[in-house]
Amino acid sequence: MIQGSNMAECHPVGFRWVMEAKARGAKIVHVDPRFTRTSAVADLHVPLRAGSDIAFLGGLVHFILEEERYFRDYVVHYTNAPALVSEDFRDTEELDGLFSGWDPESAHYDPRSWAYEEGEASVPASHAELSPTRDRETTTGEPGPERSRHRRASRLDPTLRHPRCVFQLLRRHFARYTPEMVEEVCGVPRDLFLRVAETICANSGRERTTAFCYAVGWTQHSVGVQYIRTAAIVQLLLGNVGRPGGGILALRGHASIQGSTDIPTLYNLLPGYLPMRKAAQDRGLADYLRHNTAATGWWHELPKYAVSLLKAWFGEAATAANDYLFDALPAIDADHSHMATVAAMADGRVRGYLVMGENPTVGSMHGGLQRAALRRLDWLVVRDFAVTETADFWRDAPEIARGEVRPEEIATEVFFFPCAAHTEKDGTFTNTQRLLQWHHKAVDPPGDCRSELHFTFHLGRRLQALYAGSGDPKDRALQVLTWAYRCEGAREEPSAEEVLAEINGHRLADGAPVGGFTELAEDGSTACGCWIYSGCYRDGENRPALRRPAREQSWVAPDWGFAWPANRRILYNRASADPEGRPWSERKRYVWWDEEAGRWTGHDAPDFPAERAPSYRPPEGAQGIAAIGGTEPFIMQADGRGWLFAPNGLLDGPLPTHYEPQESPIGNPLYGQRRNPARLEWRRRDNPYHAPAGDPRFPYVLTTYRLTEHHTAGAMTRWLSWLAELQPELFCEVSPELAAEKGLVHGAWATITTARAAVEARVLVTRRLPAIRLKGRVVHQIGLPYHWGSKGRVRGDAANELIGFVADPNVSIQESKALTADIAPGRRSA
Amino acid sequence: MSGSGGDGRYVDPELGLLLGEAASQRIEATSAREVWRDVATSLPAPGEGPTYYDRPVLKEPVWIWSVPVYFWVGGTMGAALTLGGAAQLAGGPELRPLVRRCRWVGAVGGAASAALLVHDLGRPERFHHMLRVFRPTSPMSVGSWVLAGASTLAGAAALLASRRGLLRGAGDLAGLGAALLGLPLAGYTAVLVGNTAVPLWLETRRTLPLLFIASAMGGAASFFDLAPASRPREKRVVRAFGAVGKVVELAAMVAVERQVTRIERVGRPLREGVSGALWSAAKALTVASLGATILPRRTRRAALAAGLLGTAGALALRFAVFHAGKASSRDPRATFDQQRGR
Amino acid sequence: MAAGFFTDTTVCIGCKACEVACKEWNQLPDDGFLFTAMSYDNTAALGASTWRHVAFVERPVALSEQLTGLGQFSWLMMSDVCKHCRRAGCLEACPTGAIIRTEHDSVYVQPDVCNGCGYCVTACPFGVIDRREDDGRAWKCTLCYDRLQGDLTPACAKACPTDSIQFGDLDELRQRARRRLAVLHDRGVREAWLYGADAASQPGTGGLNAFFLLVDRPEVYNLPPEPVVPTQRAAGAWGAMAAAALGIAAVALGAVLASRPGRP
Ligand SMILES: Nc1nc2c(c(=O)[nH]1)N[C@H]1C(S)=C(S)[C@@H](COP(=O)(O)OP(=O)(O)OC[C@H]3O[C@@H](n4cnc5c(=O)[nH]c(N)nc54)[C@H](O)[C@@H]3O)O[C@H]1N2
Ligand SMILES: Nc1nc2c(c(=O)[nH]1)N[C@H]1C(S)=C(S)[C@@H](COP(=O)(O)OP(=O)(O)OC[C@H]3O[C@@H](n4cnc5c(=O)[nH]c(N)nc54)[C@H](O)[C@@H]3O)O[C@H]1N2
Ligand code: SF4
Ligand code: SF4
Ligand code: SF4
Ligand code: SF4
Ligand code: SF4
Ligand SMILES: [Mo]
Repeated sequence: MIQGSNMAECHPVGFRWVMEAKARGAKIVHVDPRFTRTSAVADLHVPLRAGSDIAFLGGLVHFILEEERYFRDYVVHYTNAPALVSEDFRDTEELDGLFSGWDPESAHYDPRSWAYEEGEASVPASHAELSPTRDRETTTGEPGPERSRHRRASRLDPTLRHPRCVFQLLRRHFARYTPEMVEEVCGVPRDLFLRVAETICANSGRERTTAFCYAVGWTQHSVGVQYIRTAAIVQLLLGNVGRPGGGILALRGHASIQGSTDIPTLYNLLPGYLPMRKAAQDRGLADYLRHNTAATGWWHELPKYAVSLLKAWFGEAATAANDYLFDALPAIDADHSHMATVAAMADGRVRGYLVMGENPTVGSMHGGLQRAALRRLDWLVVRDFAVTETADFWRDAPEIARGEVRPEEIATEVFFFPCAAHTEKDGTFTNTQRLLQWHHKAVDPPGDCRSELHFTFHLGRRLQALYAGSGDPKDRALQVLTWAYRCEGAREEPSAEEVLAEINGHRLADGAPVGGFTELAEDGSTACGCWIYSGCYRDGENRPALRRPAREQSWVAPDWGFAWPANRRILYNRASADPEGRPWSERKRYVWWDEEAGRWTGHDAPDFPAERAPSYRPPEGAQGIAAIGGTEPFIMQADGRGWLFAPNGLLDGPLPTHYEPQESPIGNPLYGQRRNPARLEWRRRDNPYHAPAGDPRFPYVLTTYRLTEHHTAGAMTRWLSWLAELQPELFCEVSPELAAEKGLVHGAWATITTARAAVEARVLVTRRLPAIRLKGRVVHQIGLPYHWGSKGRVRGDAANELIGFVADPNVSIQESKALTADIAPGRRSA
Repeated sequence: MSGSGGDGRYVDPELGLLLGEAASQRIEATSAREVWRDVATSLPAPGEGPTYYDRPVLKEPVWIWSVPVYFWVGGTMGAALTLGGAAQLAGGPELRPLVRRCRWVGAVGGAASAALLVHDLGRPERFHHMLRVFRPTSPMSVGSWVLAGASTLAGAAALLASRRGLLRGAGDLAGLGAALLGLPLAGYTAVLVGNTAVPLWLETRRTLPLLFIASAMGGAASFFDLAPASRPREKRVVRAFGAVGKVVELAAMVAVERQVTRIERVGRPLREGVSGALWSAAKALTVASLGATILPRRTRRAALAAGLLGTAGALALRFAVFHAGKASSRDPRATFDQQRGR
Repeated sequence: MAAGFFTDTTVCIGCKACEVACKEWNQLPDDGFLFTAMSYDNTAALGASTWRHVAFVERPVALSEQLTGLGQFSWLMMSDVCKHCRRAGCLEACPTGAIIRTEHDSVYVQPDVCNGCGYCVTACPFGVIDRREDDGRAWKCTLCYDRLQGDLTPACAKACPTDSIQFGDLDELRQRARRRLAVLHDRGVREAWLYGADAASQPGTGGLNAFFLLVDRPEVYNLPPEPVVPTQRAAGAWGAMAAAALGIAAVALGAVLASRPGRP
């Protein structure tokens, strides 16, 4: 089931295995507004209106529940379906699109009423002090500070009949997501929808599993996180999680974008998904640990990882006495996500900007606002292969071409550093499958090009020298930072392998690498740069560099690279066995309980306490890992169960609900509440929005996407003639009907406009982008790839000039997959 | 704005340099080619088979003007040498001057042909590779050898024509040889074009040789008419030779036309466009030239007219066939229909 | 070993990796940046600077065994290349012997021999080989002759993520192709068939060393339905010429004899 992704075009090499599966009889379903190169080889292609997936997936949930197609044993034992939820909880069915806890003033939810029964939602003192808005900002992104409050459900109803058990809540919540409703919201004919539902249900259960693949067709919405949540519910109900051939596969973006979330470039996370220190509540290490350590479940281990991280960073200087220098860590006091930061920049509240491996004036939303922000900077550093649109924003930009801005009026000082490509440096990629793979330097980077490692390391060195004498506490972190990687060659290239060793972690006593995160300690006796990667350098062996051929190892291929955590290829794989620990079926045998040996075994590294018998029941008041029962596979969760209902951690509701995008041609057919109430908006003059529903000026749906031939903002492909010739010009895809309606000529020019900007593109009239028929009306969709910009071998307008700032509240991702626009024949005026 | 070649890349062009034999290619400026304008956007009309956006399926022959001109020269000299040979065998001393003239036409024509062909080559400095091998499957290879042989022998024969004794004998031997090679020379170019994938040429491969040879006779005669001999007998020979040639040529043209009616798309270029016009012109000119030839009272002016008209006709014919072929190679349906036999 | 390609268009995802890999390995320049509006095909055709070309066909016809909300629609992709014909028009036409058949049974143009006469261009029934703009030499796929010397798979096949392009020993490839065809037919993809797999199915060329599995008529992919190597038909032309030649000889003699004195 490929939905929200154009896998064949965006992950062609990974798609090899999809074709392999098809050759072996797998059925491939592609749900996408367009007929893409993925659809071309799929067995079933379902076009739907961009921005309507929750209704579609909700329809699947409805079908599975009403037709009794769920995997009962799995659901009862492995999910929180039986858990009873607080009496205070009110569903969107009762509040016309809102959940209980909504506070219109602060425009955010108070999640307390979503908790499991018996008021576990007791709020820590520090939490209460926070003003609601800041609370939202500082809790952006799971885990939030209330993780400390996650607990096991106190009452379960295995019969699933209790009116307040999750299963019944689910049933009521999705009661109106019928095939007819799917047709009305998504424009997917009833029969086609039922065909999909039938296909995936028939392919799930003991003997078979279904996998979901998604990418940014799902995430880039103001309710993006809930799209994936809905898929999670479908997969949990069908018993497709933690089993071979199942799961929800996020097809990640850049070659190591997964790596950049594990060892994050995200403002609110520390390596290994440890929450960032929050100014308002984490005064000292004790606070931090209290807020973020789960009472039960694996996150109870957090202190070991946090302390080991501090030891890795601050070494000798970090001692129990000084809280391991936790206080030296910066703390976040607000939402510092990309769009929030750029908006602040545009208001003159940001002075310097390091852009490394990004081309925001093309790749990020609202190019106009992006450049307006850059113009307010004192300095800008860009590290890239070529002088990108971002680096040249001061002399080569639409507003400059239009004569609205004159370069000499821009004070920003721009520094450009040529960078080394992945072929010119050692390092790892962490791929979509959490697989670390080492890449070896093939050639030296030309001229002044240097690796990120080189740049960052030597910058750090100079800063340390610069602040060596400072007595200012804020400089302490810099002064004591462990920053001594071995440098090689005349260019003093730091050893990437030493960095890998630091990430893996070691025992301070003898300096020996640890074998995995289970060896990490809370007492400062171990150091580890990222606990989930721990083990990648076990015994001093560079495991990401392992490349044993398939024929020389098991089909799970443990000796190809290193998959975090613990080289585990499938997460929560204890769920591949039944409650008694026996495989659900021979066909799907993966990990099972070995009675004789008294331990878990199987093809993969079991994702469960090795010797915990299926019969184990946690004693009353058990803490941490000890609190995980022998039949509870989801060990990262406080209750060891897969969450159909999220009592905590989400900012826009415990259950997915269909909301229309910020800008939509129609109102919400399901609720009075049109859009995600908790979405992030930037209401400012330079970020105008269209009318929420059916703005007559912008009657069409606009969706943006990628092409195989180019990469994202284009600097890696538009400069390269062999790729540039394959897709030389920006084009828009429109249906024959829309072309006729607007007089668009195939191959000629058209101009697409929003309240933000106008861009011109060639017209590709194609049946691949169908007009969507909703009850009573036709909605036309315009498709636009976003790879072009004003520089490079081939050039064109940037689609992102058109898109404003709006975001999902949980992860601050932009809504670039569904908005509204107008289109007219001919080129743009200016 | 500055930057490598102002193409906005701002990267050291050295870094992007392609290396190796293939890299040096220059590609014609494409900015002018707006392919999308002539891309088929509508579905094929009922009855019509599909095509790939109406793009050609074949590559259009890359030959230039010098090739059809050579077709004419080669044909003319071939016919002339044949006539010369016949005169040498059965004409006796009276026709000796004609023999000499024919040999000279052959010799000079040979040189001209070589020049024309070399001019068309992509790699003129390698023209001699034409005689690197003999490849019977390649009319061009066979033709090259024939042309080489014919012109050498013709040259020798021409030079030795006015000698006495042994040398003269050698000359006559060469003359006969040249005459024999003149036969294929007059017509192999028709086989050469017939032996291609070009729909129109392929379709007419059985009638073209007759057309080319007949036209060669007419062409040769017309050529002589431009500088008419004084001797009446010589005149009669040329006149008869030309007259028959032109009559047969006209018949052959009709035959070709009837042959290409089998598949409408294939014959189209003979009826439409530049090639169609040339074809009609060739016909008209030949008819006129024939008329002037068989005019009972043969004034010098009439002969001259016949010569001019005939030469123009012969040239027009070669260009017509040449361009019609090119046109048919650009039309995918010509190929598809021909192979589908519809 | 007789090597070649089996290209299974039913698994082609139109990623063009083959096209790029070919250009990169052979250091071929781009053919200019022109937007063709031919679906996603902007290189339009095979030529001197494009030895692999991926065709994109948006059909108003559904594939059997595929269901889409678009109804009667499907999108075909096919990676085209020199067919290295068993009987190669280009090779048989080449007067200089520049085009040879290699030990891999592939059809190879020797760049140092070709004199650019352009005859091969007219003789290729597939419109593959073309003359270079700059130095006028014929230029086309070499079946990666240089890579084969080093036991490397041709760049295009190596780069193909879905094994749509399969390189190998021809007999083995033909068996594989037949097996694949059988599977597809079992699954109800009735329209699948092999193009140029052997002499029997394509007598005109004696079969192709680069053959294809297609799901529609050849014309749809811009392939000739019944390609024939021109030389197969040359005999007729030569015959006609011989007859005509005798004719001209006779007429010449006749003209001479008829002109003898004593005659009017
Ligand atoms: N060749 C190539 N590969 C790439 C990239 C590239 O730029 N070029 N980028 C990489 C990166 S950074 C990423 S994040 C991934 C992204 O990989 P993908 O997410 O697959 O890429 P997109 O083309 O942005 O979007 C996928 C599909 O979502 C569809 N879509 C749009 N709106 C909706 C919707 O509301 N619902 C549904 N169901 N579908 C919708 C679009 O039609 C599109 O076909 O690709 C990575 N791989
Ligand atoms: N409308 C619309 N907008 C989108 C999306 C969409 O689907 N629709 N997708 C979004 C997504 S998912 C993403 S990921 C973004 C991507 O947006 P960006 O990340 O801004 O765009 P990229 O072109 O990927 O930028 C990466 C840059 O890093 C450079 N680079 C490559 N390797 C290195 C290196 O080793 N070191 C350094 N210093 N630089 C390097 C490349 O040349 C390139 O310029 O676009 C987002 N924007
Ligand atoms: S571009 Fe790289 S990451 Fe993307 S599919 Fe190809 S090989 Fe994989
Ligand atoms: S396809 Fe054309 S170029 Fe290739 S071998 Fe056959 S005839 Fe020659
Ligand atoms: S162009 Fe070169 S390869 Fe082609 S026929 Fe002439 S000599 Fe041979
Ligand atoms: S075999 Fe080599 S030359 Fe031929 S298309 Fe493939 S890559 Fe190009
Ligand atoms: S590489 Fe393979 S899949 Fe991609 S276009 Fe070429 S043949 Fe098709
Ligand atoms: Mo991405």
